[in-house]
Amino acid sequence: MNLLEISNLKTHFFTEAGVVKAVDDVSFNVEKGCTLGLVGESGSGKSVTAQSVLRIVPKPGRIVDGKILFDGEDLVQKKDGEMQRYRGKRISLIFQDPTSSLNPLFTIGNQLSDIVIQHDKVKKDAAIETVIKTLKLTRLPDPEEAIRRYPHQFSGGMKQRICIARALLLNPQLLFADEPTTSLDVTIQAQIISLLKDLQKDIGMTLVMITHDMGVVAEMCKCVVVLYAGHVMEIGPIETIFEAPHPYTAALLKAVPRLDQTRKLISIPGNIPNLITPPTGCRFHPRCEYAVALCKEKKPPLEDVGGDHFISCHRWRELRRGA
Amino acid sequence: MLTLRRNRKNETGNSASLSGKDTDSETKRRGASQWAVAWRRFKKHKSGLFGLGMIVVLLIVAIFNTVIAPYPARPAPDALKPLYDGEAAQAPSWKHPFGTTRMGLDVFSEIVHGSVYTIYVAVAATLITTVLTVAVGITAGYFGRYIDELLMRITEIFLVFPSLLLILVFARIFQLGNAEPFYSFLGINIPIGLTMIILIVSIFAWAGNARVVRGEVLRLKETEFIQAEKSLGASSWWIMLKHVFPNVLPQIIVLATLSMASAVLVEAAVSFLGFGDPNTYTWGRLMEESYSDMSTTWWSEVFPGLAVFLTVLAFNLFGDGIADALNPRLRE
Amino acid sequence: MGFVKYIIRRGIYMIPLIIGISIVSFLVMYAAGDPIQIATAGNPGITEAQRDFLRHYYGLDTPIPAQYVRWLTHFLQGDFGQSLYGGRPVNEIISFYLFETLKLQLISIFLAFFISIPAGIYSALKQRSAADYTISGISIAGVSLPVFWFGIVLIIVLSYHMGLLPSAGAYGSPKLWPVFGISDPTLDALAHLVMPVTVLTLASLAYNVRLLRAGMLEVLRQDYVMAARASGISERKVLYKYSLKNAITPLITLLGLSIGASLAGAPLTETVFSWPGLGRAYVNAVSKLDFPLIMGTTMIVAIMILVANIITDLSYAWIDPRIHID
Repeated sequence: MNLLEISNLKTHFFTEAGVVKAVDDVSFNVEKGCTLGLVGESGSGKSVTAQSVLRIVPKPGRIVDGKILFDGEDLVQKKDGEMQRYRGKRISLIFQDPTSSLNPLFTIGNQLSDIVIQHDKVKKDAAIETVIKTLKLTRLPDPEEAIRRYPHQFSGGMKQRICIARALLLNPQLLFADEPTTSLDVTIQAQIISLLKDLQKDIGMTLVMITHDMGVVAEMCKCVVVLYAGHVMEIGPIETIFEAPHPYTAALLKAVPRLDQTRKLISIPGNIPNLITPPTGCRFHPRCEYAVALCKEKKPPLEDVGGDHFISCHRWRELRRGA
Repeated sequence: MLTLRRNRKNETGNSASLSGKDTDSETKRRGASQWAVAWRRFKKHKSGLFGLGMIVVLLIVAIFNTVIAPYPARPAPDALKPLYDGEAAQAPSWKHPFGTTRMGLDVFSEIVHGSVYTIYVAVAATLITTVLTVAVGITAGYFGRYIDELLMRITEIFLVFPSLLLILVFARIFQLGNAEPFYSFLGINIPIGLTMIILIVSIFAWAGNARVVRGEVLRLKETEFIQAEKSLGASSWWIMLKHVFPNVLPQIIVLATLSMASAVLVEAAVSFLGFGDPNTYTWGRLMEESYSDMSTTWWSEVFPGLAVFLTVLAFNLFGDGIADALNPRLRE
Repeated sequence: MGFVKYIIRRGIYMIPLIIGISIVSFLVMYAAGDPIQIATAGNPGITEAQRDFLRHYYGLDTPIPAQYVRWLTHFLQGDFGQSLYGGRPVNEIISFYLFETLKLQLISIFLAFFISIPAGIYSALKQRSAADYTISGISIAGVSLPVFWFGIVLIIVLSYHMGLLPSAGAYGSPKLWPVFGISDPTLDALAHLVMPVTVLTLASLAYNVRLLRAGMLEVLRQDYVMAARASGISERKVLYKYSLKNAITPLITLLGLSIGASLAGAPLTETVFSWPGLGRAYVNAVSKLDFPLIMGTTMIVAIMILVANIITDLSYAWIDPRIHID
């Protein structure tokens, strides 16, 4: 059963320089209880997709078109007041940088208990109890003391644990983790990843892992959605994706450092395109080594290639045969 | 602009793709093209253009004051012609668009002649203020340590003290020295009393600006290109002239424009309170002269004040406009 | 105990500053010339012997350093000397005007502070909307407005032409009390306050709104604001609790400064409305060069501002836990 069904989502930013089509016709589903990897380079639209689901896209951006069915209800059509009751309660988001996503002027206890009070209309004491309980869950040492402290008194890893606790306070059904380890030290990264993995298993919630790190995806996710420049490139279960990937996914995989292999790391040539005037046809064609004339002319459809695997590439058949 | 900024911080790659302009380049040397870009941006800034338009009108009025004003400036005897024609204390009419004072002066002509002083105050005060701002701001910011500490303490004193009080005292004391009213330079009569007022006003105007410039210099000092220059062994003066100054220049221009506005405002206030130069008929002075008549010939009081208001507004709008155009980083 | 130590240390720092300010003001005034000569210039009948007597009476016949030491010892005992005009003690004159000045100032400062908060927030939130342009437009006009001229326009329109409000002073005589047909001293005092308070409020409101709008625009794009929204915190709380506290520091600085400077009164507004306050008294003292009164007011204002500065700095530490005082 699908907890989240996004169809034809378009989120655009109306800037002075022009309309930035950050998310342009994106569709994918998230199965209940599953960990999905939302993968792509910076600027591919993965964060904006999560912001769209929560309806917190910052100005001058807004959802232009599409449906976001969560538990059968279309979030795009919800009024602001209704939507507010979903945020933090049923759908949560962990931010990339814990330092900037915690308010520096309020104690941890104050910031976190406000969320519980807001949603559950409980007394401050009860809220604080929930906060302590959740902080324990994230293995933050000495939570009773931590609630009296301010964000700057914690290390980056500790702050990310607090942020994870903030997202889990009310046992949400769906959790987005937006590159939760990018701003942390490598050793801390592993701890946070294993924490998220354990929490997901214990609570059984649905997790959408937003990342550009294929290693993280391999470790955590059951299925993957690959985004590029606001378009979906590939959707599928992790095994098939690693076996017969889209040219873009393949390029991403080659960029992952691995200890067991001595091959050279290969970066993807070129830059992510300007989204005000995106490339015609397949958006990846200017950087794709397999591109042909057709790729420039026509946007490839998202084709079912069997085994719950979908690819948006004109040449997938030839490439699969080649591989 | 909200998202662009956010995204730049979160996902470094996004800024290039979303905004299409490199944010780092703002910190690097500004080439001629950047001024062109600023001008293009300014041209789209409606209120800024409106301010510029008003300033141009003011300049035209000041330059052609003798042509535009129907009556000559004091002390020419014809300035009081309306009195001899029996037209003193008249309400606005076609002949006297802003009416006449009880003394028999044509208010419109008086305002037109006063505009010359307004321009003088704006330009001269801003020049002095800017020199002080740049000297203190760059020195403090660049050399740091005890020089910075000392200069900032001095700045703080100037900043916190209600400057109008001291300006009044100084202005009053300078009135005592009955020097020559004018100093002739290249055939132009420069009013000495007014120049003194300008000097006093400027001395109390630089502190806030200097703090802003210092902050900007501190920020620049940490940038890679200045650090690189330093490591290559460039001298402090060279770095300041060649790199720091051009980069704070946009900020200085913005502050200078806003200084014009406040200089005009403060001079008007000083003159209105009766501490101005007794030999020049600035707009503030006109208001002081007619203050006791405001219950009867209100026009002689209201129009000079309106001229002050519109001029200050023009400089402020223009300043805001160029702030937006020159400094996308500070853009709201 | 860092708190007490901090205050003591800041207090000690104040001493050389105050002495410095007093020496400079002292020198500036004496550079102007002989105060007795100036004070008696309008009196042709006065003899040189009488002048000498006055100089001796006011202690102006000793060397300037000796005069300064004398002034300082009296000042430290709370005695600011006597006015050169009429010989009233400066302390008495200041305390006479103090209440009316503070009344006018504090009402305006707090009105401006509290009105600017919703206005600034709203303006930042609805950036580039019609409401934002209106608020921004009014505030730039307010910044550009010569307060004295605005006061005069109000007097001309509301007092002279419409006869609604009294044009001068803080109180009327019983004959002038009636406001809207009701004769009452409190109502009369309020009626006298309306115009000067409007003028002063508008003047500082404009600065406050611009400051807060800029601060809020910066804060609203921070991650922690988006995070608060993403957690389902109500918009009201996001703005008034989580954003405002981060954006309000510059406004607090301004508030501290204006409360500190409030003793100086508002020379322009008080003059225009003939308000019996310190600002107007100061202007009069300056135009008559009544040195003891000028010195006394200047010093009190300077001390008040320095104290307000310390309180402002303390409030930063109270607002922002990352700032430590010691």
